[in-house]
Amino acid sequence: MPRSLNWWRRRRKARLLDVVRLRESFAHVATHGDELPLFFYSDLFIKHPEVRELFPVSMAAQRGHLVDALVKIVSQVDSVNDLTAFLQGLGRDHRKFGAVAEHYDAVGASLLATLEHFSGSAWTPELAADWKAAYELVGSVMTAAARADEELRPAWWRGTVVAYERRAFDVSVLFVRPEPRMDYLPGQSVAIESPSRPKLWRYYSMANAPRRDGLLEFHIRLIDGGAVSMALTSAAIADTELRLGPPVGALTLSDPVSGRDLLLIAGSTGLAPLKAILDQVAALEQPPRVHLFFGARTADGLYDLDSLEKMAAQYQWLTITPAVSAGSRFVGETGSLPDVVARHGDWSTRDAYLAGPTEMVQEAVARLASAGMAQDQIHIEDFGWSEP
Amino acid sequence: MERALTTAWFDEESRLTPEELQTVTFPMSRLGRRGYEEEPVQGFLRAVHAEFVRLVNERTSLWQDVQRLRRRIIAGEAGGDPDGVLFGKEDAHIHAVRILSTAQVTADRYVADAQAYSSRVTEEARLRRDDIMREAQQHSDMLLEDAHTRAREAAVSALNVAPPPQTDRERQAAQAELAYLRTYSDVYRAHLRAYTEGVLRGIEEWERKEAASLQDRPQGHTDRRSIGH
Repeated sequence: MPRSLNWWRRRRKARLLDVVRLRESFAHVATHGDELPLFFYSDLFIKHPEVRELFPVSMAAQRGHLVDALVKIVSQVDSVNDLTAFLQGLGRDHRKFGAVAEHYDAVGASLLATLEHFSGSAWTPELAADWKAAYELVGSVMTAAARADEELRPAWWRGTVVAYERRAFDVSVLFVRPEPRMDYLPGQSVAIESPSRPKLWRYYSMANAPRRDGLLEFHIRLIDGGAVSMALTSAAIADTELRLGPPVGALTLSDPVSGRDLLLIAGSTGLAPLKAILDQVAALEQPPRVHLFFGARTADGLYDLDSLEKMAAQYQWLTITPAVSAGSRFVGETGSLPDVVARHGDWSTRDAYLAGPTEMVQEAVARLASAGMAQDQIHIEDFGWSEP
Repeated sequence: MERALTTAWFDEESRLTPEELQTVTFPMSRLGRRGYEEEPVQGFLRAVHAEFVRLVNERTSLWQDVQRLRRRIIAGEAGGDPDGVLFGKEDAHIHAVRILSTAQVTADRYVADAQAYSSRVTEEARLRRDDIMREAQQHSDMLLEDAHTRAREAAVSALNVAPPPQTDRERQAAQAELAYLRTYSDVYRAHLRAYTEGVLRGIEEWERKEAASLQDRPQGHTDRRSIGH
């Protein structure tokens, strides 16, 4: 039986677990930089070679993730509620990587060996006991969340690519059939692993609300040198089988709906989650008014304009404004998307949903806020615990 | 100092020396502002930090060696196995960890190189594609502009020249001009079509090659958010 949070609180209160000592110890070993995770993974793989295959060939990014997670855990070790939510997410997230309960013991042993190795003369039996207790708590919260998640859904879904369309030079649209059927909220995303790039997962949003046939639509933009996006935008992806992680994300309509009209701002393939929300709105009995701004660098990048215009012709509550960057040839709005949105009037009474390149989204959010839109009316994707 | 302001500081091989700390110079910032240029100073501080991390690691590793040897010697004096003084099981494990770590870092570098190469190739392809598109666009603009100018000229001359009562001769001339214009427009259209088809063929060919080469060639890459255990 894993130790409970109450046990942790009691122990903290009784000063049996010295948080200050843990932090000092971590600050000391952290001066070793990349050597720390390097030692940890090498120790783990030597003692448990079978664990190696759960990881990608290059471990460089992985080492960064490990240190980031440790930093977060150590810095939040005395705010139990925040830490618990983070660890539960981490535990559920690790199911798709193939992590099982036995791995947690192996990881704990290697983590302690690593800390001992880098602590030098500062390593004492008391410190070892503190670290051991802290790791046991971390591991028990993660495994408990993973176990609870097992009751609800698979660790990952098989997803067959049933259709592939190249819409622009660097944008493809995939239709994927998940097995078993996947339930999710419009606006959510899943991590995708392509068969040609094992152990590399990237998040993509479903571009449709759940359909009767269960198909998922994904919009993929080719990133220069991006291994997963290159595989997914290539014609060779047709008919292959992907792996899909569980749906995550909170870029979803409030439930019940707020009653306010909607402002949707999509840059490039940031359109996907917002199109799923459009799908959902279209099924409402009394749809709110929706204004969708869809921006891209060039007219070529407005890869889904045809289907959006069809929707706009069909639904009178929907208005579409496409826009491209200044200096591009386009019959319509040109300029930066936040500028174009601002030119179209006062949006402060609407609920705004934004997705797309980070800079564009940040700029647009700042403009909406300064134009008087309240924080709780602005919705952007927040991966929280799984933010890179 | 000669080695200043290069990325050489970040290389594994070139180490920062105490001498360099004494002789380092920085360029002054532009006129109107006092002090050094910020970026070279920041770069230098990063190099000093990297050097410190390395020194700390080396120091720890040496300290551990000393401790281990001291323990063994004490054990040896107490009647232990004298051969075990220098080499123990623990040493072998630490040694193995170091070898595996070095191998992993080498593998990471290969993957990073391959990824940088692939990124460069895609970027070049993208730029080349933009060039081709721009060129095609200019070509088509030119053709359109030309056709437009000629059509306007034809219309203007038709308005100005043709008086209501036309002689047979004049009608014949007008028909001849009309025929000429039609031919002209057909020729332009044919040109435009051939050019556009050429470009499209090029793109399809490229796509086909890309699909074929991607099928043969599996690659590796690092992920953006798979968090370690």
